[in-house]
Amino acid sequence: MTQCGVFCMLQVEHVAKAYTNGRTPVPVLADVSLTVAPGERVGLVGRSGAGKSTLARIMALLMPPDRGTVTVDGVLIQRWGFALPAPLRRQVQLIWQSPRTSTNPRYSLRQIMEEPLLGLDRDARRRASARLAQLQERAGLTPELLARHPHAVSDGQLQRACVVRALLVEPKYLICDEFTAMHDASTQATLLHTIAEEQERTGMGIVLMTHDHRLARHWCHRIVELSGGRLVEVTGHRSTA
Amino acid sequence: MALVVEGLDVRFLTRDGVVQALSDVSFRIEPGDVLVVVGESGCGKSVLAHALLRLLPANARMTGRVTLRGTVLTDLPEAQMAQLRGRAIALIPQSAATALNPVLPIGTQLREIARARGLSWNIARKELESILSRLGLDFDRIQGMYPHQLSGGMQQRIVNAAAMLGRPALVVADEPTYGLDPELVDQMASLLLEIPKGGSALLVITHDLHFARRLGGRIALMYGSFLVELRPSQQFFSGPLHPYGRGLLAALPDNGLQEIPGSPPSLTALPEGCPFAPRCRYSSYVCLNNIPALVPLDRTGRDAVRCVLYAAG
Amino acid sequence: MMSSTVKIRFPGAAEKGIRGLAGLGMARRLPPTALPIAVVAVLVAAALAADVIRPWDDRHVDLTRMLQAPSLAHPMGTDSLGRDLLAQVLHGLRVSFTVSAGAALLAVVIGTAVGLAAGMLGGKVDFIVMRAVDVFQAQNHFLLSVLIAVLFRPLLGPAGAIMMAVALTHWTTITRIVRAQLLSLREQPFVAAAVNLGLSRSQVVLRHYIPHLLPAITLAFVLLVPHAIFHESGLSFLGLGMPPHQASLGSLLAESRQTLLSGSWWMIVFPGGTIFCAAAAIGMLGEYWRTRLHPRWRSELDVD
Repeated sequence: MTQCGVFCMLQVEHVAKAYTNGRTPVPVLADVSLTVAPGERVGLVGRSGAGKSTLARIMALLMPPDRGTVTVDGVLIQRWGFALPAPLRRQVQLIWQSPRTSTNPRYSLRQIMEEPLLGLDRDARRRASARLAQLQERAGLTPELLARHPHAVSDGQLQRACVVRALLVEPKYLICDEFTAMHDASTQATLLHTIAEEQERTGMGIVLMTHDHRLARHWCHRIVELSGGRLVEVTGHRSTA
Repeated sequence: MALVVEGLDVRFLTRDGVVQALSDVSFRIEPGDVLVVVGESGCGKSVLAHALLRLLPANARMTGRVTLRGTVLTDLPEAQMAQLRGRAIALIPQSAATALNPVLPIGTQLREIARARGLSWNIARKELESILSRLGLDFDRIQGMYPHQLSGGMQQRIVNAAAMLGRPALVVADEPTYGLDPELVDQMASLLLEIPKGGSALLVITHDLHFARRLGGRIALMYGSFLVELRPSQQFFSGPLHPYGRGLLAALPDNGLQEIPGSPPSLTALPEGCPFAPRCRYSSYVCLNNIPALVPLDRTGRDAVRCVLYAAG
Repeated sequence: MMSSTVKIRFPGAAEKGIRGLAGLGMARRLPPTALPIAVVAVLVAAALAADVIRPWDDRHVDLTRMLQAPSLAHPMGTDSLGRDLLAQVLHGLRVSFTVSAGAALLAVVIGTAVGLAAGMLGGKVDFIVMRAVDVFQAQNHFLLSVLIAVLFRPLLGPAGAIMMAVALTHWTTITRIVRAQLLSLREQPFVAAAVNLGLSRSQVVLRHYIPHLLPAITLAFVLLVPHAIFHESGLSFLGLGMPPHQASLGSLLAESRQTLLSGSWWMIVFPGGTIFCAAAAIGMLGEYWRTRLHPRWRSELDVD
């Protein structure tokens, strides 16, 4: 499926980003470089406020950095958000920290999970619908939950729907932003297994952002730490999970 | 006996049906003890704090009995309940920053609280000085300051000190580690553990298992609106009895990130019988059709499990 | 006492209805909107059935019945040409409603389109739009509406002129509302998630923006109608409104000026009173709806 060959990777190089608070720019990322290869699981740890979410948005092609480049499978990204063609936007999916704010409360869980289908043609849509049913079951979403709206389901259930929505698109790369913030140990286990199985099937590269060091050590192949606006490889870690 | 909860049942009548938040919840906390209510999202634990304080919305229906230092709270007239809320029960909010009034100096706010607790300022001030110094703060230095001049950690300590003032019979901390970094979680546990030292009973509601373990005391595990296991913390973490407890600890990364098949039930559609039965590997016909009773594990009746595996006879 | 931020929402004032009415012995479950709804319903029904209740022919002049006080035959009296006032009020009400509703609708359409453009395109477009809003809002809007009515009358006829006059003086409120909502919507993670999933711009607008904007826009429309009724009445009063054969309530008021000195109170009271009732009732409904929308306290529970 991929013609990228040796260029198959999600790469950010020397990325910097600052937020302008009125007049004074507040630097969040100083010089961040990271490469994610297909099939790899990179754990990204760091304190809250360190810039993980900012980096997540940049890597998901939603927001341009002030400096530096982002490359997806050899394609240098020069436009962001809407300006980017839809197929390219779908290559990198972001699973947000809070399922409540990343879902529109007006729609039912089914509608939320089916949203990705809107951009597909008829054949692709048919195939995707079949996969949707499988994913829903794997993620532990019972049929009677599907018709409910976000306010009528718990955080854990909503997060499952968000994961299904992201996986439905079959992204090349998956960024999980502070998954553990939800702290549902059993939901987390189920979702990480679901994601791992998808990774096995499609070979996607994954970045798991978390401040749970134990989780990163257990689940990821390598760990990097975001501190002072820079990424540092955490040595002494090797996992065959 | 500081707090006794017997058969607490809370349900909400909503447009989407009846939400069964708490079912047959019973436990006791002695003065100076810590009880940590643990559960995942959707188990009903977050209603407990408000139920104990009788601050539930109009569409709530509560049955059962709550007794605090001998006074039965559940049928107390509202006027007396309001008095109790300020004096005998203190609630520590999730976020200290939002609990403090940004336009008033700390001293003024503490004075307000002392008044609400029915304490004279002289006595309260002395107590505050001692509590705050135990928490590492100097009362004289901070009383003139405004909340924004203090760090988040200091704000949290002030909020905790305010909760301890007057040694209320019960202090409830509702999700105190929400949004907190792991390094600060440990600090929060230490801060909270100062409270029972003053003689108050401490009830902590959390979903963070590591935090729960750090607090010690006793664990009350909730699932699908029911209390399923009630045991000393150390015993629970080294060997949970209830199958859900086992599954939950097994799901931790340290223990292999093992899955529990299925997903937790919705509080509007609880299964017949044991709430965990559909996912339990030991479940049988009996489990699916009968809700097991909360069975005491020893003579004192303080520890209990709700599972047929442990029912006598 | 400090309270926790557990996500339980408490029923707000809107849910409690009017306790006072219950004290008056009225049905206990009567919501506060019962009276305005009844009034509006009656008025709308009357306006729609005007032809049936009291057919109107402005040529039917009867000089023997000039300026008669209200009687059984003519419950609202007669005008200076002997014509039944009740018929005129009913038909005038219909004209007032249609013109006002049309005006409000036009204002909402213009306001929304401009607001969407400003909110979505941002940058220079946004800047120009906001300056235009400033310019329009700086004017005395009644004088401006007079000017616009005069300008557009030859082009669009009296009804069209009134609609333009009202629309061009009131679009700014709606633009502001739409733009403000859009600016906050744009930052919502669920919009970013939709972008991430590959939705096109128009899909995001249709799925995520419009549904969120619709309540505010509809509310703005409802609140604009009484305003439009007053404007239309004012313009008609000045002679810039509806012509005699399509008289609106405002034109009737204008006509009543001439009969003032003869003590024909019914000429002012009935048309004026109807304007007031219609505007007040619709306005009350709009205000009640507004208090239910922001902030919305629902008795649902987020159980965690």
